[in-house]
Amino acid sequence: MKRHRSLTRTAALATTLALGLTLTACASGGGDAGSGDDKPLTLWTFKQTHATALEKTAEDFKAKTGITVKVQAITPDDAFVTKTQAAAKTGDFPDLLEVHSRGEDFTFGAAGLLENLADKITPEWDKNYLESVRNEGTVTAADFKSSQETGSKIAGVEEGQRLSVPLTIGTFGIVYANKERLAAAGITEAPKTWEDFIAALDAVKKTNPDNGGVTIGLKSPSTGLEWLMQPMGFGELGKEPFEALFKDDKSKNWSSANGTKVLSEYNKITPYWMPGSQTLDIDQADLSFAQGKSSFLVGGTFTLSFLHQNGFDTDNLMTFPVPPPADGAVTDLALAPFSLTGLSLSSASKNKDAALKFIEFVSEPENAKKFSTNALDLAPVDLGADPSTEVGPVLGAMMAAFGEAGPNTYNPGDTSYRPNQYDPGDVGALLMNMTPLAQTDPAQTGAKMAELIDSYWATQKG
Amino acid sequence: MTSHVTPDSAVRGVGSDGDRLDPRHSPTPPPAAATPAPRPTKRARIRYNRTESRWGYAFVAPALILFAIMGIYTIGYGLALSFARWNGFSPNWEWVGFQNFTDLLFGSKTYAPRVQAAALNTLWVCIAVPVLTIAVSFPLAIILNSAKRFQGILRSVYFVPYVTTGIAVYLAWQYILEPNGAINALLKALGLGSLSQPQGFLGNPDTALPTLIIVLVWSAVPVAMLLYLTGLQSLDTSVFEAATLDGAGWWRTNTAIVWPLLRATTGIVFLLNLRDALQGFQIFLIMTNGGPGNHTNVLGLETYRLAFLSELAPTLGLASALGWMLFLAALAIALINQRLEKRAQ
Repeated sequence: MKRHRSLTRTAALATTLALGLTLTACASGGGDAGSGDDKPLTLWTFKQTHATALEKTAEDFKAKTGITVKVQAITPDDAFVTKTQAAAKTGDFPDLLEVHSRGEDFTFGAAGLLENLADKITPEWDKNYLESVRNEGTVTAADFKSSQETGSKIAGVEEGQRLSVPLTIGTFGIVYANKERLAAAGITEAPKTWEDFIAALDAVKKTNPDNGGVTIGLKSPSTGLEWLMQPMGFGELGKEPFEALFKDDKSKNWSSANGTKVLSEYNKITPYWMPGSQTLDIDQADLSFAQGKSSFLVGGTFTLSFLHQNGFDTDNLMTFPVPPPADGAVTDLALAPFSLTGLSLSSASKNKDAALKFIEFVSEPENAKKFSTNALDLAPVDLGADPSTEVGPVLGAMMAAFGEAGPNTYNPGDTSYRPNQYDPGDVGALLMNMTPLAQTDPAQTGAKMAELIDSYWATQKG
Repeated sequence: MTSHVTPDSAVRGVGSDGDRLDPRHSPTPPPAAATPAPRPTKRARIRYNRTESRWGYAFVAPALILFAIMGIYTIGYGLALSFARWNGFSPNWEWVGFQNFTDLLFGSKTYAPRVQAAALNTLWVCIAVPVLTIAVSFPLAIILNSAKRFQGILRSVYFVPYVTTGIAVYLAWQYILEPNGAINALLKALGLGSLSQPQGFLGNPDTALPTLIIVLVWSAVPVAMLLYLTGLQSLDTSVFEAATLDGAGWWRTNTAIVWPLLRATTGIVFLLNLRDALQGFQIFLIMTNGGPGNHTNVLGLETYRLAFLSELAPTLGLASALGWMLFLAALAIALINQRLEKRAQ
């Protein structure tokens, strides 16, 4: 009996201990944000293609300062969102984060999860960044006004807060083409107009009936809308009429004659889609181009690194920006570079000085150029008169398509003309019903897009 | 005291004299030669019962605490969230009352049409998946049950989809269903090229949802078949002998005797698959992400998209509200099913 009782007591003690240890483990798990001075800094990124380049930068940083930075890639995007949401709740934010500029940085900053860098960046440090993107990550007066409206994603930000600094710059709306196949079809020059582009698609399709098409990751429907149609539409209409397409004025929005005109032009691409493009996500679409299943791919400057990583010979690439129609309002269309991703500092970091040192280290031109070369992506620093020497001929050529801000320059990073609850995925899904799915015609598509965008405005205006 | 313990009282832990038995004691009576144990006093028994209760509570405490943290807290948190606007990051929730529910049902021109379209797709899935699963698994179980040889191997083969179902299998299905995939190739090889899908079976809005339903049925059949097999093996063989003597053939035996006798199993299979069809979204997220063009969006996926794929918009409350509406729908279906079962009995 005594032995039995002793056993029971031991079992109860063991259970209590096990539970206690479990709870202790839960409490201490992932507490990187609380790194002390001697503990490594943690950096989370949502971009797998940046992880290795950031690790190499971290190695250089350690050699110089003795501070270790551990880089962790968390993909895909929804996993990054859930992980950061959980970390925000438990106070386990990492010291540093790579974020979408004017995306997570503003949302996290609005929640008080990020440090305001405005008074921490010295003028000398600031000069490292290209002037055109220097203010990215800073809350402007327009951003603040937008944050005050119902349903805003950034409710809580304050004007002037600097919530991230640029890490990579670039743009959407870059067409990648298989140079050999284009040459076989008699095309040796990059198309300058939308009509030339359609003619090139037609010519390559004729010589390569099975793999001559164009692809894009339409499983994320926003890609067709934002990467392909919008640059073309901007070129067709010009800045103000283009931006009016997203307003709730029926005489000027997608349901208007202007909307139908842009959609009709875009619809001309329908016969040239690589079969099944609507089922591919962005990586799968890039991969299908790298594997030769399509001859054209639409992406951004960031696409190059993925193609390179997946074995595509970058010498066999012809790249050009999505061209405007020949009779469009903007015939010399240029694409504005904007900050695609930035670095943010967690307000929960216990080693802010070291984390700041790392952010500054990444921005120094020499280190930024190295990062650019390793990531095959563009750093936000001056790469000199001939960027090709730093980032290779393909990325260098893409930079030639960049233009200064102005009426003829399309800036995909400027979304100030859209309602604040605008969801490009939902609008893009409606566009997909027109092309490639051929379920609706341009007028019907425009009417449905206008109806959805009107609903965002209605919510915003309360 | 000698305790007389009947099998029934042993189960209940109560002696014939109504005394509570120590479950650690053997229920068998002590040998006749043994000295009877002194009867404990009332106070000693109370003290003993209290001590035993404390030990009982100590043992169930870990489970209760974990359930309280993981279960009750989460459920309560989710319910509260359904009345709030929040993006998962900001320190404060904005209370909006029932607006999330009304927005999803009819109030918002942004969300209500999406939810309605997803509800229609979900309805199709909820009808087709349980019905087709039963239509396939019941005959399969009967055939397997009557197989004289290799029954074990065949059962394992048919169970493979269940043990392999997961993300990898759904990705494999994607490859099979793509424009240059195995199914199109097979159809062309068989001279049935007109049935092939140039855009792939998931790329055509007309075939995408039916294709996903077939994949769902494929992964649901093994468990359903196993349940039917278990049911079949528990049936009294004399019933079949009597039916054979009465001249009932194979078809008549299975439709008029086996099917009604396995009605309870059918109810369980239907309900399990209905629940999965109503709340599941994994396959839709991985294989189509609701596409092409939202043609395969279902309510489970819509909930996930509102929570984690809404570009950081403050829609977690909407997701929670939709989750609760799905729960209520599942509860209603379960109650209706229970009522129908009772009526049938």
